[in-house]
Amino acid sequence: MSSHPTGALPAHPETATLEGKNKVMGFWLFLGAEVVLFGCLFATYIALRNHVTDGPTAEEIFKLKTVGWSTFILLTSSLTSVLAIIAMHKHKLGQLLFWLLITVLFGLSFLGLEIFEFNEYVKEGHKFVSSAFGTSFYTLVGFHGAHVAFGVTWITLLILQGLRKGLTVVTAPKFYVASLYWHFVDLVWVFIFTVVYLMGKVGH
Amino acid sequence: MSSNSHDTSTPGKRHKQESPANHYYSYILSILLTILAFAVVIYGGLDRSFILVFIVSLAIVQALVQLLFWMHAKERGHLFPLMFIGGGAIIALTGVAAAVYWTWW
Repeated sequence: MSSHPTGALPAHPETATLEGKNKVMGFWLFLGAEVVLFGCLFATYIALRNHVTDGPTAEEIFKLKTVGWSTFILLTSSLTSVLAIIAMHKHKLGQLLFWLLITVLFGLSFLGLEIFEFNEYVKEGHKFVSSAFGTSFYTLVGFHGAHVAFGVTWITLLILQGLRKGLTVVTAPKFYVASLYWHFVDLVWVFIFTVVYLMGKVGH
Repeated sequence: MSSNSHDTSTPGKRHKQESPANHYYSYILSILLTILAFAVVIYGGLDRSFILVFIVSLAIVQALVQLLFWMHAKERGHLFPLMFIGGGAIIALTGVAAAVYWTWW
């Protein structure tokens, strides 16, 4: 394609301009706020997780096999998004876009697995309205799933933009920030599989 | 796909470790921590409160590994990012601690 900016690009194109620096810094502030958001959802879930009324308990319905696969998929996608950033620092647009594409595909499989999982739960009577446990569970895990869905959309659009505009000091901060976001989503999942699924299996 | 690039290893001055090796190590470490947490719960037989503390500790270790390596927070110029995340974490943990306190004691 038309763009050959590689020679002129600095080693860290994402923070080469003041705008890029500000974007990255501002995004960290946003992630700090996201920590608070998920903290509140976790607190709510922890307070309500044993209030099952007539619905099934966490111990009865959670299947660690599915959760294990979801965890593995999301963890691997976090690795591929960091590989994308390494490629970006080497100014290799093709590799960057390739790893982002792999990340998107992993994200989509994670979402597919989650939809399948929720569908199974609903069949077994674990619904949003069936108990306080159900409500807090779907709010917390669903919020995370929505983050994954947003990330998949965002990164897909970035790939398309990368194809059109190449790697410049304008596009680099976008790739970098999207990768930070994706790592953060994976980081939240670490606490979800621990607090929701594993602690659910341990029982109360 | 990693070997053939221009200046990957400028010695000395560079604060940045651009070789993917570190990231592979973090990945393997994360996988191992995850497997350990799952294994303790599945094959457990240990004291319940010990398991809870143990798996939450594993999660915190894994989160720190990912934050510091994958999100590059251990590199120079990340004081403010760490303050933002740390500030958020303090508020979040206060909320979680309150919920735990209300429900379990």
